[in-house]
Amino acid sequence: MTLSGLASARTHPPDSPAGMPRWRPAAAASLTLTTLVGLAAFLWPFVAEPSFATGVGRGQNAPWLFAALLALLVAVLLGEVTSRGLDAKTVAVLGVLAATGGAMRVLSAGTAGLEPFFVVLVLGGRVLGRSMAFLLGTTAMLAGAFLTAGVGPWLPFQMLAAGWVALGAACLPRATGRLELSLLAAYGVVSGLLFGVVMNLWFWPFMAAASAPTGAGFVPGAPVADNLRHYATFYLATSLGWDLPRAVLTATLVLVAGRPVLRTLRRAVRRAAFDARPTFAARSAVD
Amino acid sequence: MRGHAAYRLVPRLVHPVAWWAWALGLATAAAHTTSPWLLLAIVLVCGWVVLERREIGAADAFSVFLVVGLVVITVRVALTVVLGNGVPGRVVLFRLPQVELPSWFAGVRLGGPVTAESLLAAALDGLRLATTLACLGAANALAAPRRLLRYAPATLYDIGTAVVVALTFAPQLVALAGRVRAARRLRGHSGRGIRELARLIVPVLEGALDRSLDLAASMESRGYGRVAVRDRRGRLVGSLLALLGAAGTVAGLVGVLSPSVGGGLGLPLLLGGLTTAAAALVLGARADTRTVHRRDPWRAPEGALVILGVIPAVVVLLAERAGTAGVTVEQVPLAWPAVPVLPLVAIAVAALAAPATPMPPRLARRRAELPHPRSSTIVEATA
Amino acid sequence: MIELDDVSLRYAEASTPAIRGATLHIAEGELVLVVGPTGSGKSTLLRCLNGLVPHFTGGTLTGAVRVAGRDTREHRPRDLADVVGFVAQDPLSSFVTDTVEEEIAYGMETLGVEPLAMRRRLEETLDLLGLAELRDRALGELSGGQQQRVAIAAVLAAGPRVLVLDEPTSALDPVAAEEVLAALHRLVHDLGLTVVLAEHRLERVIHHADRVVLVRDGVVSPLLAPAEAMLASPVHPPVVELGRMLGWSPLPLSVREARRAAVGLRQRIAETPAPVDGSRGPIGSGSTAGSLDRVTVVRGVTTALDGVSLQVAPGSVTAIMGRNGAGKSTLLACLAGQLAPRSGSVRVGDADPARLAPAQRCRAVGLVPQDPDVLLYGDSVADECRSADRDFGVPHGSTATLLDQISGAIDPDRHPRDLSEGQRLSLALAIILAGRPRLLLLDEPTRGLDYPAKRRLVEVLSSLAAQGHSVVLATHDVELVAEVADRVVVLAEGQVVADGPARGILTGSPAFAPQVAKILHPLTLLTVADVEQALELTAS
Repeated sequence: MTLSGLASARTHPPDSPAGMPRWRPAAAASLTLTTLVGLAAFLWPFVAEPSFATGVGRGQNAPWLFAALLALLVAVLLGEVTSRGLDAKTVAVLGVLAATGGAMRVLSAGTAGLEPFFVVLVLGGRVLGRSMAFLLGTTAMLAGAFLTAGVGPWLPFQMLAAGWVALGAACLPRATGRLELSLLAAYGVVSGLLFGVVMNLWFWPFMAAASAPTGAGFVPGAPVADNLRHYATFYLATSLGWDLPRAVLTATLVLVAGRPVLRTLRRAVRRAAFDARPTFAARSAVD
Repeated sequence: MRGHAAYRLVPRLVHPVAWWAWALGLATAAAHTTSPWLLLAIVLVCGWVVLERREIGAADAFSVFLVVGLVVITVRVALTVVLGNGVPGRVVLFRLPQVELPSWFAGVRLGGPVTAESLLAAALDGLRLATTLACLGAANALAAPRRLLRYAPATLYDIGTAVVVALTFAPQLVALAGRVRAARRLRGHSGRGIRELARLIVPVLEGALDRSLDLAASMESRGYGRVAVRDRRGRLVGSLLALLGAAGTVAGLVGVLSPSVGGGLGLPLLLGGLTTAAAALVLGARADTRTVHRRDPWRAPEGALVILGVIPAVVVLLAERAGTAGVTVEQVPLAWPAVPVLPLVAIAVAALAAPATPMPPRLARRRAELPHPRSSTIVEATA
Repeated sequence: MIELDDVSLRYAEASTPAIRGATLHIAEGELVLVVGPTGSGKSTLLRCLNGLVPHFTGGTLTGAVRVAGRDTREHRPRDLADVVGFVAQDPLSSFVTDTVEEEIAYGMETLGVEPLAMRRRLEETLDLLGLAELRDRALGELSGGQQQRVAIAAVLAAGPRVLVLDEPTSALDPVAAEEVLAALHRLVHDLGLTVVLAEHRLERVIHHADRVVLVRDGVVSPLLAPAEAMLASPVHPPVVELGRMLGWSPLPLSVREARRAAVGLRQRIAETPAPVDGSRGPIGSGSTAGSLDRVTVVRGVTTALDGVSLQVAPGSVTAIMGRNGAGKSTLLACLAGQLAPRSGSVRVGDADPARLAPAQRCRAVGLVPQDPDVLLYGDSVADECRSADRDFGVPHGSTATLLDQISGAIDPDRHPRDLSEGQRLSLALAIILAGRPRLLLLDEPTRGLDYPAKRRLVEVLSSLAAQGHSVVLATHDVELVAEVADRVVVLAEGQVVADGPARGILTGSPAFAPQVAKILHPLTLLTVADVEQALELTAS
């Protein structure tokens, strides 16, 4: 490793550098609650009782209701994380990295599952530290949706899931060199698949049992095991072909391009001097 | 729009929220019916309004979403062919060889007879989803989502700015990537292959991140971050509201999803939690000292749009509740679905959105230059 | 208006201060030019004025900086936004919105200006900078000069009394630079703003300046009169070099002043024979290194090149000139094989470069692009050289040797992007030359270079031509062309408008004449070296 590479590794702080949004108790609690709501929004088909299906969640209402709910809560969460105010450097770096992610989504908009987008989340999340990683995930997904003019009820789910992916990458244990790359690649595979599993859950309840393929439809109120089985069939039939290439591509890109990209990102974080503290000395005190 | 000079409205951009309200109204109508007549009518109305009112240079999201909708219908039908359907049918179209599955897959049927009723059910369900997607596509095309960013509350100012920066920067990034690719060839590489991808990413990222620091310096010099942060007490209040709202929502959800656990408390708790969360968003931790230059006006056309979106939603909802013939199509006795007249009229009324709203400026200029609406041999002057 | 009291600044990881002992009192309504070689501390000095240093960059500031009564100790850049406006070199990287109108309104929105006042100020600013017809245009569609004016307008709309600009015209062609400088001149004289400006291409701006500050190795001089500063400055435009050589007093700073002082000189030299460009090799003899034959290139809906024919002689330096959009970059791209023409043929050596595989093409023709950073991807200079050795299959260390020859000592462990503009260009040049291409193409090489770096480039290109390489340059920089080119081709709207020996074309056209030629018109002398030679001839 060259001298500059060593230097960047040495000065890279363990998690979010000072001056960037921190996970204060309120924000952390807010994230937990929003995660719970998110889990509910994703997993409700398995736990809902039949009366839900005839009452509030009748017909196709439920996915839309959850989308609106989750949108509101994600907005509140983002407001909480940034409540202290982000400074211009953070906003600019976030914006530029989100643009990179968004551009990746535009580039891969047609190809089945080949989304280099997750590489940005995994590697960026790793370097930026926890809070900024979560913001990166949500902002990149939002930017991607705007760039592809594809805003719809799936967006709050995608934003939350992308935020989780980036946050997870930031929470991985410290490692360097080859070990770090392998860790990130493995994480890329796992998170890519999980993202697919979870996002598909949003779509699944639209396949109400009455007209869904037998054994792959959603039966409100059926035992959890039954619904899980139905979902597994649905997932295997529809989404696996999408998610597996995406997971594999993410891992491959991390292994091939990970080291130079991590170096670049770390150098940028160092140059940005997020924790720059200006000092003022009295006259003729310095040099 | 050709027509009475007295009714011609001054070309301007319509408030984006109005377009989204209209489209969401139509989407709601679409979600509550499976009548192919109504669904196709909605798609046609959306398509026509997009044709008449999409600004030149706006993304053609409508066609993209239409294509996705077609894919959805195809996938649905294909799945039904392979896995069958819960719909009992009598008219068997063809038979696939049935495959025996292990007992763990109880309830799943692979292969077997494919009936017309089941295919129809799948197709109609897919059509419903595709129509909803078409409405969303129309909304995206008529009012680019990035215009909605201006109306984000003050608590989301920083995130909104980050997204604006991302949207402004993305095209430059793509251009930079093109230049880097050309530069790889200058060094004797072909620029393809996965190893090359690594060599491509680094200069693009470096360039992008250098630019971001310049941008940050410029934003800082122009006063970014002057938005007053409220004092500690204000922030605490905001955080408290946010937490209460989120907690209330979670509790309410538990109650709604499992009424046996929560009793009747579920829905009220949920609504209370949501209201508190919304209050947190609005009151927030910031006092917004920014002003807005030239807000999109909310005038009569915007109000008309909202009403024209609400009408089909309400009519279809009521018709579904009342059980009007044709709104929810039954597949079991395979018959030609009835045409529900009132909902159809309500949907046709929504098409008035085009004449009721002003044309966007660039489109109006383009239309004014063409001497005859059907003339296609005139080369348009470049903007 | 602006007061600096014994200001020194040391960055966090540096051992020596970036600037020291800066004491300046700038009155209102003055245009102050900050002059110094690259890396001398000009940028740091400018950024001190609006608080970016040390609040944004970190570091230790000694002394006091006060702008309009506000001390940067207590005020962050965002608090100074309504008194100081800062404009950076690259306008595109400072834009936050999509259209001209929104960009100008952004600063006012952030400061919470009343909507009615905002509207009025917007219209005034548009008129002041001549942007009224451009108000709805997308920022990405504008030309470089227009973008820079929008950047100035965006900063101006907030109503500051001081404008600080860091190299605003270095990336612009002469016409655009004139627009921007004329706008600044108007702001100073009509509105009484105080403008502090750093610039490399002094010939455009020195006669506008009221005061000059010299910065050298971090030492900041007091405010000087322009003529006094130019006498002492290590970087100076050709007119000043001529004046210094001939001992004119007072030192002329513009072509007009120099012509008045040069009356006697013109008479003295008029009798000497016109200089012969013998040493630069005859044109059109022997085989051609590259050629274009009736090439037409269509890009989108515009015809970028229309029936262009060109022959490049071996061992010659050819300059392609013309305004922006005339087709210079397209011509180079054709020669480099990046574009295939719609009709006509391109030849480099014996082959069509577009048909060659990249690995062979880079040995026949090498192109240094406008933005040399796109070539660099290593994380140290040594790493770049090693990968260039590998790319071109040359023995280890040859690229590093080339780099030493071109630019002198560069620390091999530095990150390529931390180098100065001139050093980055040298690195890119060394990388492209590692393949020893017979034909070398350079697209706008002097963007952002100061005079010493340009001189070094001239030496490198001359020696390359002497070794038998053929060099083709696309450039706006008339002074560079005067120093190094044998032949000039002028393009306009994709067609060749003029093609001939450099001396004839440059002295024949008022738009493309270098300063020395304008001063000594109608004599056909291009550079100060030519004048020296002519004086020696008269002495003998």
